[in-house]
Amino acid sequence: MSIRTLNPNAEVLNKSGALHMNINAAKGLQDVLKSNLGPVGTNKMLVSGTGDIKLTKDGNTLLKEMQIQNPTAIMIARTAVAQDDISGDGTTSTVIFIGELMKQSERYIDEGMHPRVLVDGFEIAKRATLQFLEKFKTPVVMGEEPDKEILEMVARTTLRTKLYEALADQLTKIVVNAVLCVRKPEEPIDLFMVEIMHMRHKFDVDTRLVEGLVLDHGSRHPDMKRRAENCYILTCNVSLEYEKSEINAGFYYSNAEQREAMVAAERRSVDDRVRKIIELKNKVCAGSDKNFVVINQKGIDPPSLDLLARAGIVALRRAKRRNMERLVLACGGEAVNSVDDLTPDSLGWAGLVHEHVLGEEKYTFIEEVKHPHSCTILIKGPNDHIIAQIKDAVRDGLRSVKNTIEDEAVVLGAGAFEVAARQHLINEVKKSVKGRAQLGIQAFADALLVVPKTLADNSGLDTQDVIISLTGEHDNGNVVGLNQHSGEPIDPQMEGIFDNYAVKRQILNSGPVIASQLLLVDEVIRAGRNMRKLT
Amino acid sequence: MRELITFQVGSYANFIGSHFWNFQDELLGLFEDTQADLVYKNQNLDMDVLYRTGETQQGMPTYTPRLISVDFQGCLGSMSSRGTLYNQNQSVSSGVATWTGGVSTQAAEPHKKNLFLQRLYDEGRDIVATGNGVNKVSGESQTEILDTDVVKSLEDDVQYWTDYAKVHYHPQSLFELNGLWMNAQEFNNFGIGRDTVSEGLQGDEINERLRFFIEECDHVQGIQFMVDDSGGFSGAAASLLENIVDEYSNVPVLLYSVRSPNAQNNLTNRKQVISSNLHDAVSFSTLSSLCKLIVPVGLPSLSQSRASQLLNLHDEKPYHSSAVYASAIHSISLPFRMKRIGATGESSNGCGAMNLYEGIQMLAGQARQNIVTILDSAIPAPSITGRQFQQSLLGNLQSLTPETAHDVEDLQAIESMIVHGAHGAGDHEASISEVKEAVETAYENASTRPRFSHISVSRCPLPIPLPFPSIFGNRVGRRGEWLSSPILDSPERRGSLDIHSIPMVARLRSSTAVLPFLENRLGNIRKFGLERGSIGSNLLRGWGFGREEIEEIGENLSKMILALDPQQEYSSDSD
Repeated sequence: MSIRTLNPNAEVLNKSGALHMNINAAKGLQDVLKSNLGPVGTNKMLVSGTGDIKLTKDGNTLLKEMQIQNPTAIMIARTAVAQDDISGDGTTSTVIFIGELMKQSERYIDEGMHPRVLVDGFEIAKRATLQFLEKFKTPVVMGEEPDKEILEMVARTTLRTKLYEALADQLTKIVVNAVLCVRKPEEPIDLFMVEIMHMRHKFDVDTRLVEGLVLDHGSRHPDMKRRAENCYILTCNVSLEYEKSEINAGFYYSNAEQREAMVAAERRSVDDRVRKIIELKNKVCAGSDKNFVVINQKGIDPPSLDLLARAGIVALRRAKRRNMERLVLACGGEAVNSVDDLTPDSLGWAGLVHEHVLGEEKYTFIEEVKHPHSCTILIKGPNDHIIAQIKDAVRDGLRSVKNTIEDEAVVLGAGAFEVAARQHLINEVKKSVKGRAQLGIQAFADALLVVPKTLADNSGLDTQDVIISLTGEHDNGNVVGLNQHSGEPIDPQMEGIFDNYAVKRQILNSGPVIASQLLLVDEVIRAGRNMRKLT
Repeated sequence: MRELITFQVGSYANFIGSHFWNFQDELLGLFEDTQADLVYKNQNLDMDVLYRTGETQQGMPTYTPRLISVDFQGCLGSMSSRGTLYNQNQSVSSGVATWTGGVSTQAAEPHKKNLFLQRLYDEGRDIVATGNGVNKVSGESQTEILDTDVVKSLEDDVQYWTDYAKVHYHPQSLFELNGLWMNAQEFNNFGIGRDTVSEGLQGDEINERLRFFIEECDHVQGIQFMVDDSGGFSGAAASLLENIVDEYSNVPVLLYSVRSPNAQNNLTNRKQVISSNLHDAVSFSTLSSLCKLIVPVGLPSLSQSRASQLLNLHDEKPYHSSAVYASAIHSISLPFRMKRIGATGESSNGCGAMNLYEGIQMLAGQARQNIVTILDSAIPAPSITGRQFQQSLLGNLQSLTPETAHDVEDLQAIESMIVHGAHGAGDHEASISEVKEAVETAYENASTRPRFSHISVSRCPLPIPLPFPSIFGNRVGRRGEWLSSPILDSPERRGSLDIHSIPMVARLRSSTAVLPFLENRLGNIRKFGLERGSIGSNLLRGWGFGREEIEEIGENLSKMILALDPQQEYSSDSD
């Protein structure tokens, strides 16, 4: 081998070695993740050497936690994580689909077939399946008022694979309402406008949707109100702290007035800004019991806080940048960058602003807003790993609702699509193709069945029985999925099990591409390392 | 109050930081200890500058560093990423409340605590058990693990920086980067690091933690940022600094770009050498453009350098070398924390207080606007009596910044020096005025004087905490004094059991002596990155730098050189 003459240390794997390395890596990764799939999969609890606990059933989280080193496995993992980035779910499905494509191919390759032929078949099968998906999907009309029921079904399907049923059902309503809250007609949905906040407090079932915002900080002055009703909200990005260095810092005073005078002299410009805010407060609140809350992205130093507190204003400093946007959407008004153009029109409104203290953590709730276009999902749980798990689930739930609204379509779940697509490939597509590419289509079609198979496997059912009864029903023209408890075929439409169209399409697009690339590798060269020892 | 926030990004930065916080913890302990020397009582330092006061959910008060540390996942050894104070009962047996189906548990083998941590842990438990007042008894019951055993065990196997940390950290402080899917050796360039942090949610999460600490501050004076710039962490740091520049434009950043003595040892072929040279240039140029003052720290062979003439250490142990740098960085940070007393800011315990902004203004804000400074130090500092000090003080200050020129005559130099705990006649602590006078005489006698120099003095020496490595040679005395002859019956390396404190001198210097450092980086980016058909441009493209960006880096570097040395011709449009 010529590479040896160039670099005697180079490690070379020949054709079958390279192929088997890839296939084994793909199968290995599939083995790790497959028990996650579906509503009866196993939850994984990862306990680190220091006793830290991570709890997850999400393929995406799990892949990131694993310190994967094998180059093939990394390629697959990257694809799967990209899947999550693009469509918000389907990480586990991508990994097991790629693994299954490799496993099916292995059979044919061991019988002497050239990978190129299989790859050609994959390509045909992929295109045909995507076309079939277009026909198979269930269109959903998203008018002015989207069909809440279907959105809830999609969200429930996703959430039930991550959390136990009662909690999943509770969260379903929350995520659907959250997405509908931030949705604006004719605009893409910006899920960042849903704030996800957590409190280590009470129980998971206390998780709720706050129409308005929850900030993870409070006012920094003892005299400011902890609870205020009927509030004007000023959202601003104005520095209210003295910024020049105090080169000649020491100054003396003998009484309060004198001190006042000196502070004022040193900090005139800051005070002017504060005063303008107070003027506006006096203007809008005069003679009423209304309150005034300032939420600033920049800092507010103690003297400014003092002035504001004395004027009866509640002020919060260093708000998140994103909350500036969210506040305006939730309360109305506009974010102000300078105090020169303060008008009552720039103020927002909230019926109730109150603070909640947990140890050293403070939370400020801004609630009872008028027409919220931003909201907060407040996750509660007794410990960090439960919170983290709910958070992951909520993110996936939100994405699934958003996808549905944007796709204007859903796909029947519980394995129904996979079985239907498989039957379509075998019965129609395969016959229309001549030659050995048929085998590639066959492999692809069989690989699709990995989803129902794994679902059955995770429920402790007999895989063969399940596949036979499902394909039988499909051949009779009934589109059915798998009931994970009984093993009987069910109608996913009746049960309300729907998957995202975007997720399915993405899996079908990316899975075969990576599998084909891996199959076509016929030599692996690497200098100075032993690949066989990896993993 | 003028708060400082500390960042430690990368493994070596965390090694240094761990020592740094041990010093602070030791000072705090000595301040409360009734039997400690009076200088510690009157140390005149405001610890609230670096620490925050908090409270756990159970209502227990806490005092923890205002710190954000970023490292690889798994680099925390036996410490939990949530720190030690805010521990809730994270028992596995509590079950999985969020799932009714099966649960499979993957438990890693628990990390064994070394003797030092074991003892800390036991002591902590005893204090809780015996209540607050009566911990004398518990101290005596802990004789099973001896100091000597602890020191020996640390000498032999420190693997993680947490192995010798005696500080409690806040749960928001320790951040682990995950999902890298590569081993540490491959995380070796600017591009990878920047992508890791800027893509996905990890960067956001770190920025959120910074916001958590800044929101608490009434008047933040600045950020001291240590980054291990030998690998991908410099890219990660650049990404974090970009956010700081954006969000907190008025908060000055003092950046220490640190690297361990053996950072460059494993370069085997030419390609790796080029890659590492380019990385250095790119990383330095980018980082320097995102901070107000940058101090490169880390000699390629510290143990052989003049900086460690009284020390005896192993380059291959980060535990050793990081202690040296941490000592110097501790000294530099003192003026930012001294309490200002009276109009002149002088007292019998310290003088020369300044805040970070003033310090940066002084070094980088004047005439030449040079933001690259050299860190010099004398560990330990010589005694100030007699002519010895006055002649040798400046001579004994050795650079910890790599690639600097010696014996440069720079009339425009600006220096800021801190002397603390210096000894006077008869090895007693020298008074503030004695030290000031001695330093002034030293400057007067020097052949070239800097254009401007600032001096801060404190009487409080550097206390040597128990987990400090044994790196002193046998010519250093119990209180850090220089001995004229080596102690014969002592081990070759002396550590915390033999030496209790040392006097220190450290200095930040803006001088043309740093030119070789800059020129090397400019040379490399020109040779490998900019020349037509050069090997590096592909590499740089992979890191996300197009042709224009590389040119910008070159220009940035040549501008820095021009600022220091206007005579030299470094025009960048040579082609």
